[in-house]
Amino acid sequence: MHEVEIAVVGAGPAGLSAAIEAARAGAKVLLLDENRKPGGQLFKQIHKFFGSKAHYAAVRGIDIGCRLLDEAQESGVETWLNIPVWGLFGNHTLAVIRDGRAQTVRAKKIILATGASENALSFPGWTLPGVMTAGAAQTMMNIHRVLPGQRVLMVGAGNIGLIVSYQLLQAGGEVVAVIEAMDQIGGYAVHAAKIRRAGVPILVSHTIREAHGREQVEAATIVQVDEQMQPIPGTERRLGVDTVCLAVGLTPLAELGWMAGCGFAYIPDLGGFVPLHDENMETTLPGLYVAGDITGIEEANSAMEEGRLAGLAAAEALGYLREEAISRKAEVRQRLDSLRLGPFGEKRQRAKERLLGECRGQLAKQEPPDVSKSCQDLTRSRITVVTGVLSLEELAGSPGYPSQERLRSGKVAVIECMQQIPCDPCVGACPRGAISIAPTITDLPVLDAEKCNGCGLCLPACPGLAIFLVDLTFSPTETLVAFPYEYLPLPKVGTEVEAVDREGHVVARGRVVRVQNPPRYDRTPVISIAIPKEFAQVVRSIKRSGKR
Amino acid sequence: MIEDKVLCRCEEVLESEIREAIQAGARTLHGVKIRTRAGMGLCQGQTCQRLIARILAEETGQSPAEILPATYRPPCRPINLSFLSGVEG
Repeated sequence: MHEVEIAVVGAGPAGLSAAIEAARAGAKVLLLDENRKPGGQLFKQIHKFFGSKAHYAAVRGIDIGCRLLDEAQESGVETWLNIPVWGLFGNHTLAVIRDGRAQTVRAKKIILATGASENALSFPGWTLPGVMTAGAAQTMMNIHRVLPGQRVLMVGAGNIGLIVSYQLLQAGGEVVAVIEAMDQIGGYAVHAAKIRRAGVPILVSHTIREAHGREQVEAATIVQVDEQMQPIPGTERRLGVDTVCLAVGLTPLAELGWMAGCGFAYIPDLGGFVPLHDENMETTLPGLYVAGDITGIEEANSAMEEGRLAGLAAAEALGYLREEAISRKAEVRQRLDSLRLGPFGEKRQRAKERLLGECRGQLAKQEPPDVSKSCQDLTRSRITVVTGVLSLEELAGSPGYPSQERLRSGKVAVIECMQQIPCDPCVGACPRGAISIAPTITDLPVLDAEKCNGCGLCLPACPGLAIFLVDLTFSPTETLVAFPYEYLPLPKVGTEVEAVDREGHVVARGRVVRVQNPPRYDRTPVISIAIPKEFAQVVRSIKRSGKR
Repeated sequence: MIEDKVLCRCEEVLESEIREAIQAGARTLHGVKIRTRAGMGLCQGQTCQRLIARILAEETGQSPAEILPATYRPPCRPINLSFLSGVEG
């Protein structure tokens, strides 16, 4: 039997963060993962994360993973990889396979950070090769560098469906359509906007009826659904695709919790059954903690904060940290709260409050979302959430959009960020302090267009790729539009390109004036093109040159 | 009627077999599992369990909160049984 003070199961963002905090506090920590490499899903995340500086905002998931691994090593965490945990007995004993035999690990405190698994959807043909979850496609592309297919149908327009669609495009695939059974896009509008301007249609109120093919997927039939989610006869459409990706939600992976016998609650907004936990992430079984997606589906930043909280609390319970624990935990809780603000986060915040309430044995009052209090809330705008494209009217009323007068006077940033998501790297990126987000991190960015000199440093800093640069004074007949562009090959200066609007339609010819890709842009190149003046408000990207 | 389909891929259990099990009296995921083997395979229900829960809810009128996962027992990961012979006391 192996004995440790704290055992952490799962070396994803939550588990790594928990282990680091607990080890820094002085505890002897063992981190276990069944995979050969630590990091969980972080190393598949090649996009820049949202959040604030305290949450690694604007850093790509892969790079966050590398930092956490370094920190784990520095803080003295012992890590066992390729070690499946196959049982949890009571609240202190883990069963593992190590050196080819079953062994037990006895720990004073155990932190479960086992993450989540992807939901499936069954339809005729769903067992054909070529039907896979979005996460599987992401693993193939971003870990193994294999493009899962040439023509993909993405089922589900939550953040995972939108992000993986974007990554499929980056990998050289074609996304024929993203379909969503709900009547609106579930993910962030900025993620939707990225794939819309790449020409990918997003069809809400649509589901998949069947995947066709003999040996593998050759086509898929999609169908429109009514308010009751029932297929509308006659609306079937057959799409020629070789891959169907399913991005239809996640389920917390809590077998070890069930096995140990801790209390659970069924909370649909958190992904189903989740272990009850208190403010210290401790379950109903003393000494057994949970962190990350196992406690409710959120995102990597929240998982890391919950991990830190669990790590601090477990170390504190062992006598480490002492008075310091209270303030450290308060800091983490404050950062967690800030991630759960805004129209997207509120639902999770309430669900988490309910979870805490049930843990205390009293059901927290369920109050309906108060949308009225957020006067800047534009999430409910039907147009954006249905199409993923912002209308000019919506933009004109946005605090990040410069006035017509300012636009006419020369180069200026145009911020097309219209949802209250917890994110603020643009503020720090501006050397002139022209962008502010206040008082909370979920407020919309406000552009002080008089302070902005159009330097463009905010463009690559925006994880949502939602900031552009417009210079109406570029020449008597032409406007300069600059935009972030994360596709290869990069266009060459001087070449003619097809300029596209927010829906990916080619609307004008453009000429590449500048291609900026310095290290500090962190692989988000910025392309500047000259276009006829009348398209200044319309053109936001270029057609990608030849699929590879 | 849309053609029948496999719901539990590990044990190759058809949707029609799941519905028959429910009509024969299964009211829980555990009940469906012991009647059909759905969820007894390599993935231990990670893929099919939620799909079957939906059918259970549909056929029996139970709310999703009432449909508990089938009992989890060790080993919850596929392991070679020979490994177990050397368990330490």
